[in-house]
This record gives sequence, C-alpha cells and structure tokens, in this order.
Amino acid sequence: MISTLGQGLVLLALLCCAVGIPVGFAAGARRSTVGLAWSRRLALAFAVAMTLATLTMEYALITHDFSVSYVAHVGSRATPLVITIVSLWSSLEGSILFWGFVLGLFTAAVAYLQRRGHEDYLAYTLGTLFAIGLFFSFLIAGPANPFAPTPPPIPLDGPGPNPLLQNHLLMIIHPPMLYLGYVGMSVPFAMAVAALLRGQLGPTWLKPLRNWLLVPTSFLSLGIMLGGWWSYEVLGWGGYWAWDPVENASFLPWLTAIAALHSAIVLQRRGTLKAWTTILILITFLLTILGTFLTRSGVVNSVHSFTQSPIGPLFLVFLGICLVAVVVLLALRIDTLASEPAGESLVAREGAFLLNNLLLVGLMFTVLVGTLFPIIAEAVRGVKVSVGEPYFNRMAVPIFLGLLLLMGLGPALPWGRARSEVIRRALLRPLPAALAALSLTWVLGGRSWSVLLTGTLAGYALWVTFDRASEPTRRGRGGATTGSLLRSPRLIGAYLVHLGVIVTFLAVAISANHQTSGEATLRPGQTMEIGAYVLTFDEAEAVREPHRIVRRATVSVAHDGESVARLEPSLNQYLTQREPLGTPAVRSTLGHDLYLTLMNLGGDGSIGLRAIVTWIWIGVFVMVAGTGLCLVSPTSPRAT
Amino acid sequence: MNRTVLIVGAVLVVPLLLFLAIGFRFDPRRIDSPLIGRPAPAFTLADLDGNVVNLEALRGRPVLINFWATWCQPCVVEHPILQAAARRWEGRVHFVGVVYQDDPSLIHRFVESRGAWGPSLLDPAGRVAIAYGVYGAPETFILDRDGVVVEKVVSVLDPRSLAARLDALVDGSGGS
Repeated sequence: MISTLGQGLVLLALLCCAVGIPVGFAAGARRSTVGLAWSRRLALAFAVAMTLATLTMEYALITHDFSVSYVAHVGSRATPLVITIVSLWSSLEGSILFWGFVLGLFTAAVAYLQRRGHEDYLAYTLGTLFAIGLFFSFLIAGPANPFAPTPPPIPLDGPGPNPLLQNHLLMIIHPPMLYLGYVGMSVPFAMAVAALLRGQLGPTWLKPLRNWLLVPTSFLSLGIMLGGWWSYEVLGWGGYWAWDPVENASFLPWLTAIAALHSAIVLQRRGTLKAWTTILILITFLLTILGTFLTRSGVVNSVHSFTQSPIGPLFLVFLGICLVAVVVLLALRIDTLASEPAGESLVAREGAFLLNNLLLVGLMFTVLVGTLFPIIAEAVRGVKVSVGEPYFNRMAVPIFLGLLLLMGLGPALPWGRARSEVIRRALLRPLPAALAALSLTWVLGGRSWSVLLTGTLAGYALWVTFDRASEPTRRGRGGATTGSLLRSPRLIGAYLVHLGVIVTFLAVAISANHQTSGEATLRPGQTMEIGAYVLTFDEAEAVREPHRIVRRATVSVAHDGESVARLEPSLNQYLTQREPLGTPAVRSTLGHDLYLTLMNLGGDGSIGLRAIVTWIWIGVFVMVAGTGLCLVSPTSPRAT
Repeated sequence: MNRTVLIVGAVLVVPLLLFLAIGFRFDPRRIDSPLIGRPAPAFTLADLDGNVVNLEALRGRPVLINFWATWCQPCVVEHPILQAAARRWEGRVHFVGVVYQDDPSLIHRFVESRGAWGPSLLDPAGRVAIAYGVYGAPETFILDRDGVVVEKVVSVLDPRSLAARLDALVDGSGGS
C-alpha cells in the first residue's frame, strides 16, 4: 500500500518534470505568458509530489512498515524516534529521495519568488530545473527506488541505520545542510543557463542570482563545518579535516561559489566579468554533480564508504550530459554576454577581486587534481598512487594565506583608477594593526612562521574589515550602529562574513600548530597529567540501551588543582555492528579543547589538547550569520 | 559559435569523463601487489638519528615493513598494535617503519610522545614507497626469512591475522 502510494507520487513528480522541460523551454523561446504560467504550476506540482512522497516515506519509517524495502534496510524497532526520522538520509535511496524533495522545494520557491519582473528568464530557469528534476525523479523511480516492496517474507524488525550516523546529534543536521547546499546550487545554475539562453545578464537578474547563490553557499559552509565538527566529536582521531575525497567533493563547489559571489560584485559595480561569473556559477553546479558522483560511485577510496552504490554509472552519464550541454551552450551563447568596457586597474579593488578569483579557482583545481589523482594515475599508468594530506596542505596553505592577504588589501583599495598617493595611504593605514597582531601572536606563544604570518595578515584584514563595516556609521554623522545596520545590512553582512573567515583561518592555523597528544593506560584511581590538567580515571561502567551497549569511562578533570569537569569517553557497541564505535569526550573552552578517546575498556586511552578549535565553529557561524544579513536587504547601491 | 570555448571545453571535459569512466574498471579498495611472491625491493635508508638500515642485512628472519606517517590517522590507531607486536616477536621478527610523505621533526615528536616500535626510516624522495607501489599510509609488507614478500596489508593491521602470519613465518611454515 505505502509502496504503491510512494511510487505513484514519485512517478507524478517524474511526469511533472518530463512535461515541464518542453513547456519551460518553449515558453522561454516564445516569451509565452501562458507557457510560463503552466511551468509555474508544474513546478508547484513537482514540489507537492516530492513532499508527499517524502512524507510517505517518513510515515513508513515511523510506523516500522518493513514491507517497504528502504524501511527494511535502515529501520529498526529499537532505534529512537528521532534517529528513525532522520534515517531518511542515512542510506542511498532515502537520501536521493530527500534530494528530490529539496529540489522540489527550491523549484517551487524560485517559481514563486521570481514570478514578478523576471518573466524573461523564469521559464528557461524552470525548464532547466525540470531537466535536473527529471534525472533525480528517474533515479528515485527506478535505480534507487526506496519504495520498492520488500520481497517476502517481510521481516519483523530491521538492522537500523548505520551506527556511525546514530552516534551523534550532529549527524542529524550535517547531511541535510550539505544537501541544501548541493541541491540549492541547481538554482543559480538554472538561472545562469537562462541568462545564456536569453543572451543577457542585467542587474535585474543579477540580484536574485546572487541571492540564490548566497543561500546554498551558506548551507554548504554550514554543512562542511558540521561535517568537520562531527568527525572531531565522533570519529575519535582529534581532527576535523583530512582532505578525504568526500570532504573535497563538498569543498570544490564551495570554492567556485565563493569566487562567483565575488566576481558578481565586480559585475554589479563595474559591469565587467559577465561571462566569467556565469562560467563560475555553471562550474559550481557541475562540481556538485561531480562530487556526488565521486561519493556515490565508489571510484575513489574514502572513509565515507557507506555511501557507495550502483547508481555511479548513471551519475557519470548525467555528469557527461551536463558537461557537454554546458560546453555547447557556452560556445554558442557566451559572446552574447559581452561585458561593458571599464577602465581597469590591477591596483584597485577590482584587481584584488580578480586575484581572489584566480586563487579560489586555482585552489579548486589543486584540490580537484589531488582528489582525482588516484583515478588518473591508475588509468594512465595502471598503478595505484594517492596524494596524501601533505600534498593538499602544502598547496592549500599558501593559497589560504593569499586569500587572507587579499581580504585585507581588497577592501582597503578604492574602486577604479586612483592616484598612487591615495592607494599608498589606503594600504599603509592598517599596518600598525598588522604589527600589533604580530606582536600579540608572539606574546601568546605563536612561534611557527605560519601562525605568525596568519596572525599578522589577520590583524591587517581585521582592521580593514572593521574600518569598512563602520563606514556607514561614520558617514551617517554619528548615527547609531543599528541605524547603519538598517541602512546597509548587505555591507555589514559582507564584512561579517569576512570576520568569520578571518576567525576561522586563525583558529585553523593555531589549532593545527598548537596541540599535544599522548596515550596512557590507567587503572581506576590512577592519574595522568597533560598541560595544566590532571586526569583521574574514576571508574568504568557498561550501560545497556535498546539499540546499543555503552561502555563508558568516567574521568575527573582537575585544572590547576581545581576540579573542573567529569569527562565520559565511551565505546558504543551497536547490536548490528561487530566493531564498537568510540565517542570521544571533549571539554571545550574558548582557549583550548581537552580531548579524550577511549581505546578499550582496559583503561587504554588517548588524550589530546588542541588550541582554540571552538573558534573554527564560531567563525563559520559568524560567516553564516553574515550571509543571512546579506540576504535581508534590497541591493544597496553602496554595498561592498 | 565561439570555437575557443568549444576547444577548451572539450580539452577539459573529454579526458575528465574518460578517466572517470575508466575509474569504474578498478576497485579502489582492492590493492594487489605484484610484489607478492617476489624478493622485496632492496633499500638502504637512514633513521632519524642517522643509523643506516639495509634490508638485505635483515635476511634470516621475517621482516615487517610498515609505511606510515604522523598525519595519517589510521597509522595513529595502528601504532599501539605495532608496539605490541614488536614486543611479542622481539628477536624473532624485524620491525621496520618507513616514513611516508612526512616531516622528520613531526616524526621525531610523535615517536617521543608515543614511543617507537622499530626504526623510523626516512624516505625523502619517496623512492622506496614508489618501489613498493605504496598507495597511501598505512601499508604493511611482510617478508619471509629469505626476503620474499608474502603479504601486503592495506590499512590498519588486524592483530589476530598478523599474529597468525608472523607465528607461521617464525615456525618456518608460512612462506609464500
């Protein structure tokens, strides 16, 4: 029953897309208002069908309807309700359904929000979104069908979702954030395709395009950060980023999206970089599909092996179609997006934007090559070789430092041609702040060149950021900050994003360079020291929960002789898994994290102290808050 | 029609799709070694303190060669397993670590805080790793007493199968 209903709804979504493609493109080509109205109705129908299909799956999961194959695959009566609900995205078929659901919501939102004043572009945009929707509906309807009936006998209980996903609350929000980011990139892609087909990218389309790019970019930022946070809190190796292919897959579109957001600012201000911005947006979407392909196909070896599936070849075909379509479309239409000539100067803000774009795209290529290297090496030479973390760090750290430098230089520079005297003054003003930051970094114990350089550049960029962000307040003759916030939220938002990035860069540099770790075997009552901490192993206990056995060690933590915390690292034995999963215990302060991992119940554990990791998460939250602020306002002529 | 865009696009897209399609033919998790059953490639490398180890000179006893790095998290997990194994088969099996793509100062700090299980040989240009076809860290090669590779283990060693293999080699019954 549920199977039939779900499959019917998915087929309805598929039908909406199949009809929507010709309707959308024909309406675009003929500028037909009737055709556009039908496209919008189909967009709504697609969203409704996908939403109902997703709700049907949730109902099947919650009611433990094991006659649905996906429920039999990931459901379990012992799993807590919240975990049951989120197990929608715990395995391939469910996550593709969730993908379709999100795509449906985005498609309907575009059809609704851009309904006025964008008739020229909207039909093409919806047509493109339907084309993407067709592929995903096809996957859900056929190769990755979560509603397929379970072959008899119907089981009475199931194995439950992947234990790794059950082990921490962050896993409940990390995947949907990434999906919102990945799927959301379809919208700016479709809008850019529409601009190419229409042969124009004017300010009226650029503004919503930027907003539709901002939304998935901030979801992607959150998703990437939550993934890092999750692996830090759950995986037990004390790190948050390992340049794993799946991590890289989410990082690649993020880089080009950030580049596109910056080149869009130049386009808005100077009328240049029209074609370049369009290409970046198209590449961003292609990278999300490439990333999904890499993570779903199993062509690269990754810690995220739980996401392997047989739909890889289909994704490759889809990626191929998208790539060829984009290249042909660009070849045919790129000349229609001629930029207005502007008197460019490299020593101006647009020059810094251009450099920022080159660095971001350069980093994207570096990471892409590193990620694909095992595949290329095997195809060319027949040998398996991988590039390790050092390759990525060696290549990425200088680029990150370059970006940090530009975050200071760019906003400090004026737009357009300026007298060299003006430029010199603008660049020298933040220097004292940079030197002060260098001294502060030294005083606080920073000794490695990377930390000192990061500190200096961050000081420079921070000064410029605050200076620029407070400009409207100063211009407003002493108006209150809230007043300037209301007047130019986008400007404040943009610099808030910069502030978040600077904080994140600093925290990454410091936490990577300032950490100590060790291993110890303790008996109950024994103590060990790390830094100013004294740890006492109090007791070990085993707690039986419906779906797992938690073996926990209680460790009292004293700091400078004063008891400050009780940490409980544990080993969780899920009933469906042979190997136990560790959950480290982390005591986070703004200054540093104390990190305990239990290795076995004999009292073996590893322990680590890492400086200011918390600030990485704070920095990303600040970035996301800034992005939100950027979305609040209508385009202010003074923005950025 | 902009020909430049078409050509640049084709140059980027065609090889990418080709490589990805070829990628399907291989299982990234199955890493066989053509070295199994053959004499292990010889090397002479120095450890952190400059002590030179020559693989040829270790003949007569089984040898375990482990490629590792401080940045590699599975290696950190594997470290105590190797320490325990080195203690258990002390005097019967040679344990040799070869550092893979890492900085000597980091290795030094790591060994100081966690202890060593054997020499940490530096392989600056990665020549030995290439000769052994190392894909990533950790990888372990087990050699019999004649220096012939009998097993290659990718990722963290399983203490039980390691024990079975080393016991068999020490008894003289576990050769290739």
